[in-house]
Amino acid sequence: MPSAEDKQQQWSRFFARVQNLLQRGPRSLRKLSGSELTRLIDDYQALTADLARARSLGAPRSTVDQLNRSAVAGHNLLYGSIRRPAVLAESDWFGGFARAVRRHLWAVALSALMFFGSAVATFFAVQFYPALGYDLVADGFLDFDPASAENLHHIPSLARPIASSGIITNNIQVTLMAFGFGLTAGVGTTVLLIFNGVHLGSVAGWMMLHGKEKALWGWIMPHGATELLAICLAGAAGYLLAAAIVAPGRLRRSTALKKIGGDALIIELGCMVMLVIAGLIEGFVSPSGIDYPTRLAVLAASLTLWAVYFAGAGHRGKKASSFPEP
Amino acid sequence: MEETVSIATPDNVTLEFELAGPGSRFAAYLIDGLLIGLLIIVVVVALIFTPGVVNFFRATFDEGPGWLMSWNIALLIFFIFLINWGYYVLFEGLRRGSTPGKRKMGIRVLRRDGLPIGFREAALRNLVRAADMLPPPCALLGGLVALFDREGRRLGDMVAGTIVVVEKFAAASDSAAAAAWAARVEQGRSRQALTLPQGIISANQIALIEQFMGRRHALPPARREALAWQIAEPLLSLLGEDREALVKSPDRLGRSERLLLQILDLARGERAKPEPALKQESRPALF
Repeated sequence: MPSAEDKQQQWSRFFARVQNLLQRGPRSLRKLSGSELTRLIDDYQALTADLARARSLGAPRSTVDQLNRSAVAGHNLLYGSIRRPAVLAESDWFGGFARAVRRHLWAVALSALMFFGSAVATFFAVQFYPALGYDLVADGFLDFDPASAENLHHIPSLARPIASSGIITNNIQVTLMAFGFGLTAGVGTTVLLIFNGVHLGSVAGWMMLHGKEKALWGWIMPHGATELLAICLAGAAGYLLAAAIVAPGRLRRSTALKKIGGDALIIELGCMVMLVIAGLIEGFVSPSGIDYPTRLAVLAASLTLWAVYFAGAGHRGKKASSFPEP
Repeated sequence: MEETVSIATPDNVTLEFELAGPGSRFAAYLIDGLLIGLLIIVVVVALIFTPGVVNFFRATFDEGPGWLMSWNIALLIFFIFLINWGYYVLFEGLRRGSTPGKRKMGIRVLRRDGLPIGFREAALRNLVRAADMLPPPCALLGGLVALFDREGRRLGDMVAGTIVVVEKFAAASDSAAAAAWAARVEQGRSRQALTLPQGIISANQIALIEQFMGRRHALPPARREALAWQIAEPLLSLLGEDREALVKSPDRLGRSERLLLQILDLARGERAKPEPALKQESRPALF
């Protein structure tokens, strides 16, 4: 039978060894030889047995704590690298985004209804009550003059990187809010979508009213499809979180949230990528002097691309829904 | 909010964690905020001064090539955004749930099943931060939710399935008392086995008998008899019982259960004895 000192040394040795392996990163276990690994597992089991005995014998807090700490470290080391799931419950990011969107089309539809619904409503409201324009249209657009060199159409080429960067970060910030605000049972997401819809609709209505719509559409078209779609999808990601709070079904709310979290996250991350693409187009392509048909072609191309992607990508990959949630 | 959570692992080990209190979490948040501010200042200084440095080497003193300044400002905007949102994701994802601030305060983020978090959890709990921060600078919503949650989770923690726990970095205690307890824990193992003249009944076997005795009234009679026989049969020779006589006995169930009870009594008697090993160890020191 080992003496007390042996036992203590055994515990500290195990703790030091595990800490050392943990420090070397998640792949450190793979570099161990078979016998080293067996030894480690045996030591872990001996330690957890000692922990259970210490608890049932009523050992003082410090002893139990010491054992508990070692057991936690051992558990994290032995199980952490084996059972760690991929960053998102699936490893196929490219197909996973399209799959997640297809799985939750209702959320996309709801988000689109809020965003485009309010935009269309505002658009017509401004047609019938032009005075509304002065309340709703953002300042920069009220005296928007397509012929002037100072409008959005004509960003000087030196300012384009700045404009692009500002647009990308601002838009991503907006989608992160639409996503996170889903946790306010969807109220915040809805407010954000309607707010942005009203902004879009009022500007479009105002330009239409003043016969400048061609200039406006020409500016929006190259990046618009990608950007507006991304905002819709971020709203959808927010509504997924909201659904887990409003209608968790038979699950606890926190469990439902955790379950839907992976899908919501991949949609939000996908939106970010879309917004980087849209922002680069908005900063560099839209303000360049390309003609109207080219703008139309960019719009058609981006619409086709997204339609093909969301309908077709990720059909052959593994089904993410059958992947066990951690 | 409770003070500790117990997590039962698949291999039946109960791990205990002390939950991080709002105080240390807020302090960690302040430290991280300070670091984020410092990082941003470093990036700003670096990017704003590069055009000047470039000019220094070109030996001109105008404001530098326009495209360089333009791209630098663009990068600046992007980096500030990246630092703001990526700081927590990156540190928590790479460093098993601890940011520099959390490390300073001795706390870290942990998955609800006791495992360290990865990028998935780090991204989820930090990208929904906008909701926890409502109304923006006050973080009232997240604070209230954490206050009322049993495990002190903010909304981001619920989405990611994480908790924030205290990580103790203190070295193992090595006082005499701890050593004595180490010895007792070690004896705990041997004490539970029952040594009889004919052989040893292991601690596992005794635990099995205890379990059976606790459950026997809930079992259907046929199952109860079969189980009692299964457990008792290998032990018959140790107790000096005649197996053949027992097989033929009409009251096989009753007799085997009595035997099992007898073993338990013996085992309990054994356990009630004082621990000789502890005394043996202390005696040489005393005399």
